[in-house]
Amino acid sequence: MKNILYTAIYSFNEIKNSKIFYSFLVFALVLIFGSYFVSQTSFISQGRIMVDFSIFAITIFNIFIGIFIGSSIVYDDIEKKSIFLSITRPVKRTEYLIGRFMGLTAAIIFSTIIMMFIFYLVLLIMHKYVIPFPIRSVGRAPLHTKTFLTLYLLPQSLLIQALFIIIESVFIAVVALFFSLITSKALASIFTILVFFIGNVSSRMNTLVMPAKKIINGKEIIVHRANYVLTAAVHLIYSVLPNFSIFNISSEVSYKISISSEAILYGIIYGLSYTILLFVISSLLFARRDIS
Amino acid sequence: MIKLKNVTKYFRVGFFGIKKDAVKNLSLNIDKGKITGFFGPNGAGKSTTIKMIVGLIHPSSGSVEINGYDSQDYRARLNLGYLPENPSFPRGIKGIDIVKYYSKLLNKKIDKNSINEVLKLAGIFYARNIHVHKYSKGMTQRLALAVSILGDPEILIFDEPLSGLDPIGRKEFKDIIFKLKEKKKTIFFSSHVLADSKELCDKIAVLVGGRLIKDESISVLEEDAYNYLQTKTNDTDVTENGAEMSDYNTPLEVYLYDLMLKNKRN
Ligand SMILES: Nc1ncnc2c1ncn2[C@@H]1O[C@H](COP(=O)(O)OP(=O)(O)OP(=O)(O)O)[C@@H](O)[C@H]1O
Ligand SMILES: [Mg+2]
Repeated sequence: MKNILYTAIYSFNEIKNSKIFYSFLVFALVLIFGSYFVSQTSFISQGRIMVDFSIFAITIFNIFIGIFIGSSIVYDDIEKKSIFLSITRPVKRTEYLIGRFMGLTAAIIFSTIIMMFIFYLVLLIMHKYVIPFPIRSVGRAPLHTKTFLTLYLLPQSLLIQALFIIIESVFIAVVALFFSLITSKALASIFTILVFFIGNVSSRMNTLVMPAKKIINGKEIIVHRANYVLTAAVHLIYSVLPNFSIFNISSEVSYKISISSEAILYGIIYGLSYTILLFVISSLLFARRDIS
Repeated sequence: MIKLKNVTKYFRVGFFGIKKDAVKNLSLNIDKGKITGFFGPNGAGKSTTIKMIVGLIHPSSGSVEINGYDSQDYRARLNLGYLPENPSFPRGIKGIDIVKYYSKLLNKKIDKNSINEVLKLAGIFYARNIHVHKYSKGMTQRLALAVSILGDPEILIFDEPLSGLDPIGRKEFKDIIFKLKEKKKTIFFSSHVLADSKELCDKIAVLVGGRLIKDESISVLEEDAYNYLQTKTNDTDVTENGAEMSDYNTPLEVYLYDLMLKNKRN
């Protein structure tokens, strides 16, 4: 446990000092501020445009952190040979791997919190999407109650979106880590981007190849059926590769719809179980690997 | 005590994954409390052997044990310090923080004093607050040395510890080894500088082309060397192959050189 903790802290510091992490963080912050100007181009629903734009920025940059740091966190350590000194201590390889990955997870949480905080400030300035929550001093007579502080809270869906961004990025990071253990760093990034892309469109593709049905005279009639091979292929991809679209709830956020607790739980369990599974496979691969 | 038994290691190279032996059927015992020098030409398999001892590489066949634990078991490394060849560290971290981090990974409590002590011993204390990517090669080597002797381990494995060090550094490092020797540590170090052999080692193992061709104590080797030189000077074609006495100062060095040369040809 102690070894995991120290490795995690060390990796977190290493990531925090890396140029790639900074640049992604700065990019995201620029985009969040930029979303204010983008929203000014519209007369209506400025808040919605802002939210859409900013959530996109926060998501994509955390995904980038997941992909690029996930594929290099162990790969570079091997490549630069700095791993030689850490795993020749009395540490299990699994402990090292968990520690490294925890450091990356901490970095993703850290960057999401910073981005969300900046986003919150922008929303606060624009007075959009924040829910006033006055704190009143409790007096005897109702007339004498005075608001001495108003807190502004973020809507539930926005907070859940932040949580989902973290889960999704960590998930992506473990995919990248897994690929980086079996191929090169560049290929690992490319494969991960592919998995992410397919994982985002696969559910939509899947509904597209479903047979189109019509109800005529109370009977269900299939009016169009896609090519069998194509259907099978899309179904296979849909069921084997992870589905990332469930983590994207930006439309709910922009329409201020609350997320049901089932959906939240489903997202958490789905993301975590996939992550743990892939991590265990990576760990088995890593334990058997020659490091030289 | 480290025991290598019939260890073979091959790497798969190229597109078709053709097997290429790096170490062949190596059996070697590294004695407790002694200094063993591990000599051999470039590509002989010294680093590969060392990496198998410290558990970085899995032997293709055979076994490596440290104090009764298989080298893959983390308990084999409870009391082991390793200095890799061409060590390196992650960017953006200060020397002192690196040493602190590695001290946390030991199963021992290590206080600030002993961290400063190893830094001083390795001669890198003055640069402890500099980021390691700004270190020179020799400074990095010294920092890695500090990390490896942290926690006063019983077994020390050094892969080419003298490379990258200036003459003063070499002298200092040899002094460190002598100090460790007084403390009865088990030391195994690789080198291709034959001049290091007699000064430092109790025993010498010679590896050529993945095969162990000698594993003897210094006194036995010196006797062999003496006898060898006797017959050699009687030979006529001395200068054609073999080392000149001017290149190498001691009979032992000449003997080892010729031994490697002869086996490399075969
Ligand atoms: N990861 C690897 N993949 C393929 N071949 C390897 C690998 N590591 C080492 N080898 C091969 O194994 C052989 C032994 O290499 P090794 O690094 O052990 O030599 P060495 O004795 O340490 O040499 P040097 O004195 O130059 O450090 C070499 O032929 C090398 O090409
Ligand atoms: Mg070597």
